[in-house]
Amino acid sequence: MTGVVPRARPWGRGEAGAEVSARRASLATLFIFLAPALLLYAAFTVYPVLRTFWNSIHTIGPHNVQELVGAANFTQLLTSDRVFWKAVGNTAIFTIIATIADVLGGLLLALCLFSGAPLAKLLRVVWFTPVLMSYVVVGIIWVWIYDYDWGLANFILRSVGLGALEQSWLGDPRTALWSVMATHVWKWLGFNMIVFLAALYALPEEVLGAAELDNCGWIAKLVYVIIPMLRPTIVNLLVLSFVGKMMIFDLVWIMTGGGPLWSTETVSTYVYKRAFDWNTFDLGYPSAIAVLWFIIILVFVFAMTQLLRQRDRLEF
Amino acid sequence: MIGPGYQWLAHLRRSPLLLFVLLYTALSGGPFLWVAVMSLRTTPEIFASPYALPSHLHWEKFADAWTRSNYSTYFWNSTIVVVTAVVLLTVIGAMVAHCLARYHFRGNRVARFVILSGLILPPQLLILSLFQILLEFSLYNTLTGLILVYVAGHLAMTVYILEGFFAQIPQDLFDAARLDGYSDLEIFWRITLPIGAPALFTTVTLNFIILWNEFLYAVVLLTEDDKRTLPLGIMHFMGSHQLDIGMLATGLMIAIAPIILLYGFFSETMIKGMTAGAVR
Amino acid sequence: MISKSIARHCLTAVALLLALGAPRTALAEDVTINVWSHEADEDAKVAFRERAVKNLEAAHPGVHVKITWYEKNPLLAALKTALPAGQGPDVLYVEPDWTEYVEAGYLAPLDDLVNWNNIEPWARAVWVHNGKTYGIPQEAYTNELYYNKDLLKKLGVELPANAQFTQTQFLDLVKKAKAAGITPIAQGVGDRPFPGAYIVGEALLRKLGKEDYKKLWTGGLSWEEPRVIAVLKWTKELVDAGAYPKNFMTLKLGESHYYFYSNPGALMLPMGSWYTGRAFVPVDKGGQPADFPLGIMQFPAVDGGACNQCKTSAIGASFAINAASKHKDIAAEFLNAMSTPEMGKMWIETVYLQTGIKADVKSFSGPHAAYFTELMERQKGEDYFIGGPRDLVQGTCKDSFAQVLNSAFPGGLLTVEQTAKMMNDGCYKG
Repeated sequence: MTGVVPRARPWGRGEAGAEVSARRASLATLFIFLAPALLLYAAFTVYPVLRTFWNSIHTIGPHNVQELVGAANFTQLLTSDRVFWKAVGNTAIFTIIATIADVLGGLLLALCLFSGAPLAKLLRVVWFTPVLMSYVVVGIIWVWIYDYDWGLANFILRSVGLGALEQSWLGDPRTALWSVMATHVWKWLGFNMIVFLAALYALPEEVLGAAELDNCGWIAKLVYVIIPMLRPTIVNLLVLSFVGKMMIFDLVWIMTGGGPLWSTETVSTYVYKRAFDWNTFDLGYPSAIAVLWFIIILVFVFAMTQLLRQRDRLEF
Repeated sequence: MIGPGYQWLAHLRRSPLLLFVLLYTALSGGPFLWVAVMSLRTTPEIFASPYALPSHLHWEKFADAWTRSNYSTYFWNSTIVVVTAVVLLTVIGAMVAHCLARYHFRGNRVARFVILSGLILPPQLLILSLFQILLEFSLYNTLTGLILVYVAGHLAMTVYILEGFFAQIPQDLFDAARLDGYSDLEIFWRITLPIGAPALFTTVTLNFIILWNEFLYAVVLLTEDDKRTLPLGIMHFMGSHQLDIGMLATGLMIAIAPIILLYGFFSETMIKGMTAGAVR
Repeated sequence: MISKSIARHCLTAVALLLALGAPRTALAEDVTINVWSHEADEDAKVAFRERAVKNLEAAHPGVHVKITWYEKNPLLAALKTALPAGQGPDVLYVEPDWTEYVEAGYLAPLDDLVNWNNIEPWARAVWVHNGKTYGIPQEAYTNELYYNKDLLKKLGVELPANAQFTQTQFLDLVKKAKAAGITPIAQGVGDRPFPGAYIVGEALLRKLGKEDYKKLWTGGLSWEEPRVIAVLKWTKELVDAGAYPKNFMTLKLGESHYYFYSNPGALMLPMGSWYTGRAFVPVDKGGQPADFPLGIMQFPAVDGGACNQCKTSAIGASFAINAASKHKDIAAEFLNAMSTPEMGKMWIETVYLQTGIKADVKSFSGPHAAYFTELMERQKGEDYFIGGPRDLVQGTCKDSFAQVLNSAFPGGLLTVEQTAKMMNDGCYKG
C-alpha cells in the first residue's frame, strides 16, 4: 500500500465510512493486545529459557561454582550417552503412534456420536471422563489394571479363555511402552472427540446435501468431503497432540519410572532424573539435553506445520 | 439433530456400531467404576477378591480420608489458583490470538514464533530458573506466583488454539465493522469473542483440567502446607507404603468427584458452547 | 545482597557466643524453625518427631517448630530447587547417600552444634565427610532374610545352628519350595530401585569381603571378574529355578510384604529391618497376622567367600541443618531433642526399628519381644559393612544398578554376561 493509511483508534468510535483497513492497527492497539502476554512471557518464560541455554554450556560444581565447558555437555550427549538415544527412540515411537491413534480414534468416536448413536448425550459425558482425571489418578488406576495377578486386563483375558496371553504388561520391556501408550491414548481420546464433534456440527449442511444428491457412497463422502473439510481441525489436533506427547512425563513417571530396562524412558523422564535424581547439583548436563531436544522438536514442528497447515479462509 | 444431508450415516446404525459403543463405554467408564467400588471396600476385602461388589458399604472411609488430609484447604487453594489462572489465560490469550490473527504488522512473525515456541519447552527444566525468578520478585511460596507461572506456561497452547480459530473468521465481518467505525477493542469484544466462543470453551476446558491436576510446579513452588493445592493432597495417600489400596481408592474418588460433578452440571452448556459453531 | 551479609554477621556473632559457652536459654522473641520431613505415612515416626517438637517447645518457650511433610520425590525436587537459591527449611530430612548436598556446601557442619554423646560412633561415622559431620543419624537398619518358620518345617528343611544355609542348600531350598507350589522369595521392584538386588548384593558382600565389595560399587572392580561372575551365575540359577514371583517386575514393596505374610504367602522375604514398619501394624491396615511364624535367617554363605559373617548395616532417615539457616543453634536443639536416650527408647519401642541413638534397651517386652530377641541373636558375632549398595552408587552407576541388577537381571531378562557388561558400562572406571 502506498501513501498514508489512516489507522483506526484502539477505542472510541471513529466516523462511519472512514477508509481504514481492518488489517492495520495502531501501535497503541498492538500494545494493548500484546503487552500483558509478552510481559509475562519475558519474565516467566524467556528468562528461564535463556538461563537453560546458559546452563547447558556450563557445569555447576560444588558451592554453586559455574564452570564454562562449552560444547562438552553436548559432545558427551551425542557420542556417549546411550540412555539419551534410547529415550529419544522411545519418545519418537510413542509420539508418532500415539498421536495417530489419538486423532484417528477421536475422529472415529465423533463420527459415531454424530451418526446418531443412541444416548449420544450421555455418551458424550461418559466418554469424556478420562480426560478430566489427573495423570496421578489415571496412572494409579492403570497400574492396577495392568497388574499381573489381580489386574483387570489379565483377569479379562483369563475369563474369556485367552489366559495364555496374559503378561506382565508394565514389567516386560517388550510391552511396557505400548501399555503406557494405550493408557495415554485412553485418557485423551475424549478430548479429540469433542473437538471433532464440534467441527462436525459446524460443517455446512448444503455441501453434504449436495454430495448426497450426487449419490456418493458413504465412504467416498467421508474421505472426499468430510475429511478435507475437517482438515484444519485435524492439523491442529495433530500438532497439539504431537507436541504434548513429545513432552510426556507425568504418566510415565507414575507408571514405570522409565523402566523396565529403559524401555519407557522418555526424554523428559531422563531430564528429570539427571536434574533431581542424580546425586549432583549440576544442571549443565540436563540443560544440554533440554536444549538439544528443544531444537529437535522445533525442527519437527516447523516441518509439520509447513507441510500440513494452510491458511484456509472459507469465503462465501 | 440429524438433518437430511446425513441419512447416509444411518447406514452405520447397526449392530457393529452398537457393539463398539458398548465396548468403548465399558473401556472409558469401567476403570472409574472399579475405583468407585473399591473406595467402599477395605484393603483386605479387596485383596481377597478384587472384583467383587462391596459386601458392606464402608462410607466411613470417606470421612476418614477427608479428616486425615488437609482437604478443605487444598480445595480452596486449588480453586483460587485455577479459576484466576484460567480467567487470565483466556483474556490474555484471546487478545494475543486476535492480534496475531487479524493484524499485519512487522513483528507478527516474531511474536508468533516467540509465543508458540513456548509450546515445546520442557517444564522439568524451566522449573529451576523459574524458582530463581519467583524468589527475586518475592513471589516464592505464594499463590500469586503460582498463578503467574501457570499463565505464562500455558499461554502458548491457548494462543495456538485460539489463533487457528480466529484466523478463520471471515475478514468481511471485520471490514464491515471497521467501515461502521468500530474501534479495535470493540471489534475484539463484539465480533471475535462471541464468534470465537467455541474455541474459547475449548481452551477454558482444557486449561481448567490441566491446571486443576498440575503437580510439578505446585510441589516445588509452594512449600507451606496451607498453601498447597489438591494434587498434593492425593500424594498424601501415596506414601511410601501405598499398600492401603482401599484408602487410596477412596482418596482418588474424593479427588475425582469435584471435577466429575462440575463437569456433570456444566457439560451441557460447555458442549453446546463448543458445538455452537455457527460461524456462517 | 545486603541481607546476606547481615545474616553472616549474625551467624558469626552466634558462633562466637557458642564458642564462649553462652547458655542456650529461651530467646526474647518468638522463633519458628521450619522442618521438611519425609515419611508422613508412618504414624510411629510422625508421632516420634512431633514428640520431639513438643519437648523442645516446652523446654524453650518462644520457640516453635513447624514440620512440613513431603513424599520422597517431591522432597527431592523441592530441596534441589530451594537450596541452591539459599532458601529452604532450617532442618531437612536427608539420607546418607545424598552426598551431593555435602559437596555443594548446603549442609552446615554439626560437630559443634549437636550433642554427640547420645549418638553411636559408628552411626555418626556415616555422616563424616572431610573430617566434619554433616548429618545426625536417626534410623538404623540391617538387611535381614525373613522367613516363614512353618513353611520351612513343612518343606522338611531344618535351619543350621548358625542360621545360615550354604549356596547349594539355599538353591535346593528354592527348588523344593517351588516344587511344593510355594513362592520361594517374595520380592518386587515395582516402586523401588533396590529390593531386587538384596540376594545378589548380600552374596557379593560375603564373597568379596568388605574392601572389594566397596570397590565394586564405586567403580574399582570389574563386574567381569571371576568371583563376581560366580555369584551372578548362582543368582541366575535361583532366578531360573523360579525363586521370584511372576509379577516381580511390578510388585510393589508394600505388596511384597503382604505377599509374604498374608496372601498368597511365600517362604522368604529379604528386606531391611524396617520390615517392621509395615508388618507390625494392625492386620486391616496391611500388617502381618498376629500368629505369623516369623523367623530370621542369615543370608546364605557363599562358597569360597571371604567374609561369610559379614552383614549389611546402614543408616536411613537422618536430619541435617541448612547451611543458610538463620537459626542454626535452635535447629540443633531440635536435633538434640530428637536424639535423647528416652527418644531412642521410644524409637525402638514404637517404630520397632534400630536407631543411631544410644538407647538403653536391654530387654524387650510387649507383643514383639520374641522378634527383637531373635533380631539381636542374628546381630551377634557379625562383621558389619556399613551402607547398602544404594549408599555407594552414584550417577550412571546408580541408574544401571536400578535397571539392571535390581530389576532386569533378577527379573530373568538378562544373561550373566549381559548383566556384567551393563554393570561395567555404568560403573567400572578401570
